[in-house]
Amino acid sequence: MKSLTTFYLSRVIGKKVYNTNGNFVGTVKDLLVDSAYLSQTSERPLVNGIKIKCNGQFAFYSFQYFKVDKVNGKMKITCDQLVELSPESIENDLHLASVVLDKQIVDLNGRKLVRVNDIRLATIANGTFAVAVDIGIEGLLRRIGIAKPIKRTLSRFHVNIPAKFILWEDVEAIDFSNLNIKLSKSHSKLQTLHPSDLADIMEDLGRKASEEMFLSLDEEKAADVLEELEPDVQIHLIESLSVEKAADILEKMPADEITDILNSLEDEKAELLLNEMEKKTSQEVRELLVYPENSVGSIMATEYMSFSKDITVNEILNELRDKKPEAATLYNLFVTDEKDELIATFSLRDMVVSSPETKVSEIMQPSPIFLRDDEEIDEIAELVSKYNMLAIPVVDNDDILQGVVVIDDVIEDLINKRRTNK
Amino acid sequence: MFKNKKTFFRQLGMFLAILGPGIITGSVDNDAGGITTYSVAGAVYGYNLLWTLVPSFIVLIVIQEMNARMGIVTGKGLADLIRENAGVKITFFIFIGLLAADIGNTTTEFAGVAGSMELFGVSKYISVPIVGILVWILVVKGTYQIAERIFLLFSISLLMYVVSAVMGKPHWGEIGHAMVHPQMEMNTKSLAMIIGIIGTTIAPWMQFYMQSSVIEKGLKMKNYKYSLIDIVVGCVATVVVAFFIIVACASTLHVNGVQINEAKDAAMALKPLAGELASQFFAFGLFIASIFSATILPLATAFYVCEAFGFEAGIDKKWDEAKEFYILYTGILILSVIIILIPNAPLIEISLWSQVINGILLPVVLVCMILLVNNKKIMGQYVNKPVNNIIGWGSVIILIALSLLLLILPLFSK
Repeated sequence: MKSLTTFYLSRVIGKKVYNTNGNFVGTVKDLLVDSAYLSQTSERPLVNGIKIKCNGQFAFYSFQYFKVDKVNGKMKITCDQLVELSPESIENDLHLASVVLDKQIVDLNGRKLVRVNDIRLATIANGTFAVAVDIGIEGLLRRIGIAKPIKRTLSRFHVNIPAKFILWEDVEAIDFSNLNIKLSKSHSKLQTLHPSDLADIMEDLGRKASEEMFLSLDEEKAADVLEELEPDVQIHLIESLSVEKAADILEKMPADEITDILNSLEDEKAELLLNEMEKKTSQEVRELLVYPENSVGSIMATEYMSFSKDITVNEILNELRDKKPEAATLYNLFVTDEKDELIATFSLRDMVVSSPETKVSEIMQPSPIFLRDDEEIDEIAELVSKYNMLAIPVVDNDDILQGVVVIDDVIEDLINKRRTNK
Repeated sequence: MFKNKKTFFRQLGMFLAILGPGIITGSVDNDAGGITTYSVAGAVYGYNLLWTLVPSFIVLIVIQEMNARMGIVTGKGLADLIRENAGVKITFFIFIGLLAADIGNTTTEFAGVAGSMELFGVSKYISVPIVGILVWILVVKGTYQIAERIFLLFSISLLMYVVSAVMGKPHWGEIGHAMVHPQMEMNTKSLAMIIGIIGTTIAPWMQFYMQSSVIEKGLKMKNYKYSLIDIVVGCVATVVVAFFIIVACASTLHVNGVQINEAKDAAMALKPLAGELASQFFAFGLFIASIFSATILPLATAFYVCEAFGFEAGIDKKWDEAKEFYILYTGILILSVIIILIPNAPLIEISLWSQVINGILLPVVLVCMILLVNNKKIMGQYVNKPVNNIIGWGSVIILIALSLLLLILPLFSK
């Protein structure tokens, strides 16, 4: 059994390769990683090919017959046999030095973008694998070629240069925006990140890369992420999508968020999207679009649940199980009369602690705090804080329940205001 | 009372919404180093070098347009693009140069603070540490609100140079003649002056700054026309202020044969020739411009270095999250302040050397930029038009030629 050899990509690039007879073969230009690993996400990528420059010509060979050794701390690369790599391998494999080095990647554990300084590889019995990505200062110095002297000098003062690695398993969404490589499969790990983290990462990525990343998400996730993005990135992404795709994703969002986005788009584009959406959603959005920008109506959610005061807790629970509303909808439940006028509110807590036969009228709080849809939004935060509310009902001038302002939107509005006023 | 405050901020918001990256970059451009260069140029050569502002203006527009286009199309900073396409070695040397030049430039800004405050009777041992600490607090703990007010003050202070210039009763006929009949003496001093004017008008770090602000604003290709207007207005602002500083010094100091080394000398020398008020305007303009650039320069430098090397950066991050960023930022600031406070520090040499590094770095950054903006993989259909390339490469060649000439000339004059 062969022993384990670990080495860095930067230390083999530019090295001369000799065959077993000691004849010069060429200089190493790049290592190619098997594209098959992309479909088996748990596997570490196997080094499949090597790019060699000889007499001014580039050639690709199978890495199988190459061997990397450390002799007295120096890298030595030998090869038994030159077997040309298939053209489809050359095209589909991942070229480590030209595609991965210096580019941005997502560190799944740290949930942030980092830049690749070097790649750590390891040779074991069944092949050579890319093990980890080096994002530390040591990797940076090694690339520049001054790591060893600096380390030696610093060690006299007992100072260490921090090395920082990310295991290949925790690396994702390498920014391939400059190359036409399809990597949708490898983006699958991204689905495990929280939408807010994904949004942060996408805001830091360049335009093309963020578009690609967005397209690789399924529609549910894409909608969740879109909700978390800064307005200018939202607009950019919506504009980069086809009308059909954009409408599909938008439909998965709450009506008030859709309205915000459509408000910032050109009227023509907004109209196209509205026509493409399902009738029910577009109707709700159109109603919200009428509200002026600073009014309560413009930030209210139209998804809410209201009940008549005569039904029982059990019936409500059954309805909730049936409809499975979003968490925000359950911040507050409303009681309306036959004309849809708001008469009371009750909380999920009140309901859960009551016996199943209890009627709504017994647990509801009459004369609720509410907002008018044409009011300005400036005072909502104070109201929310004063009454410790998670959601405030919104009624029109005839007291008909129109929607609900949820605390998330209030906070979002506050943060935006602070940002622009600063 | 509250209502009034609100309308004030709304107006302020409107004003800042109109202000684009180009205008802000143009204003930051006229920093202490710039004011010094222009003052000395005016005092030594009179109106003779005014013509250099014309080609500088054209090159400035062409280059900033490339920055804006790259920012809009890629959504990536210039440091990012250079690292990704040129690799780590070239990036490393560019940024070592940028770091050295910017420490020098920041030192020059604090020299501006020291000089201008000395004219108002404040010792540099008091003014420089106080300004240094204020700048640090403003960035790390402060809000944009305060920064914006300072910026407003700054914009107004630039107008003071117009006032100073007019008070010196310039000879408009000669100015017109100098603008259309370029003159150039073939010696080391005047050549260095010309490179200095170009170098301070088109500083390397500004290219990084410009592109980042375009991204920050979230501009799009369909707003491109407005971006262009913004850039042109910014460049006009830069050049007009430079013009009036040169005119102010030329029409008073040069005419009377007064020699100066620093911007503060100019302010001081203006007193008997153009009046106390003109002198104070000049000094106050220098003071505000120095503070403004001393705020932005170290911050921007720390930001690009981190961007290029993949460290976390941003003032919204905590110290532990973005250690490298804060260490760099604080380090540049402290170093610059300390250099200024060393008794008899060779400040003129430091500012000269930082200008020289700027001058060497500029062609390198420009070459990277032109290569990037012509790369179809990066820019798609928005690659450079032939005109941009001709002006771009032309400026690089002229800059390199001037620098080489500067190196060779002393050999012949001996």
